[in-house]
Amino acid sequence: MGNQKKAPRFSGILKGMFGTGEGNFLEEEALQSPARVTVRSFFSRPTAVFGLVVFVLIFLLVMIGPRYMPIDLGHSDSNLANIAPGCHMMDIPGEMLDEGIADIAAGQTYGVGLSNAGKIYTWGYTRVSNAIDLRDVPEELTTGGVNVRHMAAGNDHAVAIDRDNQFYFWGSNRLNQHMYQSNAELNRALLLGNLEIKQLEAGNQFTALLDTKGNLYLWGNASNADLGCRQSERETEGMDHAPRTFQGNIEKIAVTSNAYVCLLKDGTVAYTGYQKDSPLNANLPAQLQNGSVKVVDIAASSQCAAAVDDTGRVWVWGAGTRGEKDVPEMADHPVKIYGGRYHFTALLQNGGVVSWGDNMYGQAAVPASVQEGQIVNLFCGGYQNYAVTARGEVKTWGLKGFLCGTDEQGRDILSRIVNGGKITMTVGGIAVVIATLIGVILGGAAGYFGGKTDLIISRAAEVIGGMPFLPFALILSAAIPKEVSNTQRMYIIMVVLGALSWVSTFRLVRAQIFSQREQEYVTAAKALGVKESAILRRHILPNVMSVLLVSVTLDFATCMLTESTLSYLGFGITAPTPTWGNMLNTCNDSIVIQQYWWRWVFPAAIFGLCTVCINLIGDGLRDAMDPRSNGR
Amino acid sequence: MAKYIAKRLVYIVLVFFVASFLMYCLFSLIPSDPARSQLEGLKQSLKPEAYQQMYQQLRERMGLDDPLVVRYARWIGCMPDKQTGELDGVLQGNFGYSLMRQKDCLEVIKTPMANTILLNVFSTILTLLVTIPLGIWCAVHKGRKLDQGVQAFTILGYSLPQYIIALIFIYVFAVLLRWFPVNGAATPGNPYTGLRALLDRLYYMALPMLVALFGALGGMSRYVRASMIEALSMDCIRTARAKGVRERVVIYSHAWRNALLPVVTSIIGWFLSVFSGSVVLENVFGLNGMGSLYIKALNASDAELCLAIQMFYTVVALLGNLITDLAYGIVDPRIRVNR
Repeated sequence: MGNQKKAPRFSGILKGMFGTGEGNFLEEEALQSPARVTVRSFFSRPTAVFGLVVFVLIFLLVMIGPRYMPIDLGHSDSNLANIAPGCHMMDIPGEMLDEGIADIAAGQTYGVGLSNAGKIYTWGYTRVSNAIDLRDVPEELTTGGVNVRHMAAGNDHAVAIDRDNQFYFWGSNRLNQHMYQSNAELNRALLLGNLEIKQLEAGNQFTALLDTKGNLYLWGNASNADLGCRQSERETEGMDHAPRTFQGNIEKIAVTSNAYVCLLKDGTVAYTGYQKDSPLNANLPAQLQNGSVKVVDIAASSQCAAAVDDTGRVWVWGAGTRGEKDVPEMADHPVKIYGGRYHFTALLQNGGVVSWGDNMYGQAAVPASVQEGQIVNLFCGGYQNYAVTARGEVKTWGLKGFLCGTDEQGRDILSRIVNGGKITMTVGGIAVVIATLIGVILGGAAGYFGGKTDLIISRAAEVIGGMPFLPFALILSAAIPKEVSNTQRMYIIMVVLGALSWVSTFRLVRAQIFSQREQEYVTAAKALGVKESAILRRHILPNVMSVLLVSVTLDFATCMLTESTLSYLGFGITAPTPTWGNMLNTCNDSIVIQQYWWRWVFPAAIFGLCTVCINLIGDGLRDAMDPRSNGR
Repeated sequence: MAKYIAKRLVYIVLVFFVASFLMYCLFSLIPSDPARSQLEGLKQSLKPEAYQQMYQQLRERMGLDDPLVVRYARWIGCMPDKQTGELDGVLQGNFGYSLMRQKDCLEVIKTPMANTILLNVFSTILTLLVTIPLGIWCAVHKGRKLDQGVQAFTILGYSLPQYIIALIFIYVFAVLLRWFPVNGAATPGNPYTGLRALLDRLYYMALPMLVALFGALGGMSRYVRASMIEALSMDCIRTARAKGVRERVVIYSHAWRNALLPVVTSIIGWFLSVFSGSVVLENVFGLNGMGSLYIKALNASDAELCLAIQMFYTVVALLGNLITDLAYGIVDPRIRVNR
């Protein structure tokens, strides 16, 4: 720093950076201020400029990004857990569009389609586990050689039935979703050969089938779904109206995530399962049961059921908490209703479409082009909506996919990276400010007063600096009481990091002041009678500032690293608040590392890039300020 | 030299007491109640009042309500224990009782301590063996393509947090190439003894050691390179070369002796960070070391065990300081005279 004897005044810096526009080339060369030399030297280094540009980009992303990508900390969705990166969940294959769409079954994150040529196509995120992929459709179905009549897509399995009542299953069969033989009544009907299928539904771990006679057949996971349709009303349980018969009387069924409701032929709705405490049963409006309104269509979301009556009124009941019950005003009578996982979509008499419910992924935001187009067919399910227009075009709205995939709780990794980056950077930044303040004040005091003050502060710094950093930080954050909120915890972590990392700044400032005090020009200034305060301000401070700038930059990276290490170990900022560190703390096993690579690659990459860039900036600054260190 | 060593020793002992007192204060912040946990079994069989009374008596007997300084003095072993009336503290070799494992802390930390020391000693040796020659080579061949490559590469080492390096290394070397095991400390259920057992453990430690090496590559080799460049630009080097001294001698005898001093300084900081850094490594690789035990103890609020482990870290840090100070004295003759 010996070459930088003059205080770079603010106006000087400005002039240095932008030039004054006066004076010829030689003059300019001769009168370059140290600040200008530094800036020019800094910008002549490609690595430093690269670091600066990339860092600024990342900084802007994490500071502005959260405004457009607000995060709901309480959100989690097991159905969307560990989804690979991609935005193709509703991309129907071009060949299928060419052949014309006969039927679409929308699963949670994928779709199964039947073309007019009788071929079955799949698209979207079809992977269920390492071994099971819904893309692996039985080969005979993909050639168009089988005359498929019905198909359905569930959470992790798909079903198709051909004209000859031949069953095809693919996907997961872990819970006997494929064991249709286990249903004795269905077996009997198949043996007699008089089964005419009306509706096929695939739920979460079970499959349901309705025949034209109004009989319902269910098979699959009996512990989750109340499989089996009760033959008659619960007379013994004290229901006050006349018993009805369900089997043989069912018009349509609607499947929620673990139960189902039935529309009966007389226009009433019944919950025919065994769980009488189910909200689908307990909250079922009386009007729908006693025949005072005539229901024309029913649908179900994961926890709710909805019904449309012949006057156009929409009834929603069940345990929905994501806006499924907030039925909007509709321009016309709804005639048909469809259910997704957390939303409903209704087709109106005039051909319009209305969606409501959870809009986290745009499931309830019907595009304007759908409103205008003549909709002939509508398919909904999971988080997806497909509307087929009269011209054969398909309009989609809903979840397209996740650019960076999702984590083990179904949370969007991109949004967590953006929001977590803001927290990591804020914590790192404020910790550095705290550390620098402590370091400068104590270092300044030690360097300025010297003697006893210096001795005491230096010894204290030696004790704190001599203690192993990480264990010390761990114990401090373990001492934070459990009751404090996550935000308070964040502030405490900032202070802890700041209070532990001031030692290097302190040493630097103290050494710099000491070495500057010994310089001849300071002695000369003293001899000339310059006041002590002026010497400090004009000669010593600028020299301290320049080294400080470098150390602050490098410390910023260090503080971010420390915060993320603490969070990674589970002692920093804790879930659900995301940081780049704690996003990685669930990735610490070989299964995640290998199979769900997106869960650690993206946060690690952006974090690594960020710290590399900060270090490049710091190195560039140091080299720019101290020409002697060039190339070191 | 003897006076210098004596001075440093006195200083270290002083720092030990200050640091351990600080630690004790910190750990008293962790909510932990040995009296309550000792009475936990009796809680159901006693009436609330009787339980409360017994609890207070036990607190009194254990001296839990005494001032912090008194408790510290008891714990460190400068004041007699309240129950036995004998000096029984850290200085006497009693590190307390681990509530988590229901054993004496000393018993609990024995194996992890051996593991951690083994890991760190080997990784220190490995790192020094690699970084110092690399730093010297880069300094001598400064500006060449390979040197620039190494410099760019080493930035990664000190910019990336250790756990990210570990994740990448696990992915590449354990999952993709299958050269090393993903985690663990030794082949489960192996019958090996002697050298074979040591080799087996080293095989399991190879990946953590590589990760530590990669991290240290950035800091250490850059530091060696910088101080070598500084040393090589000294006048005495030019003189030596002018005299016609062989280049090898110039580099390893003249320049390296001068460059050693700042390198030794940086080893202090690095040595400390190796031990505390192994907290991360042990957790990532599932090694049964002090670091992973520390995390478990912190999670279980086992204050006495934490304190014992923390004392281990502190002692290691102080020893590191002492060794560096002594090395300083050996490397730089001026220090012996001046201090």
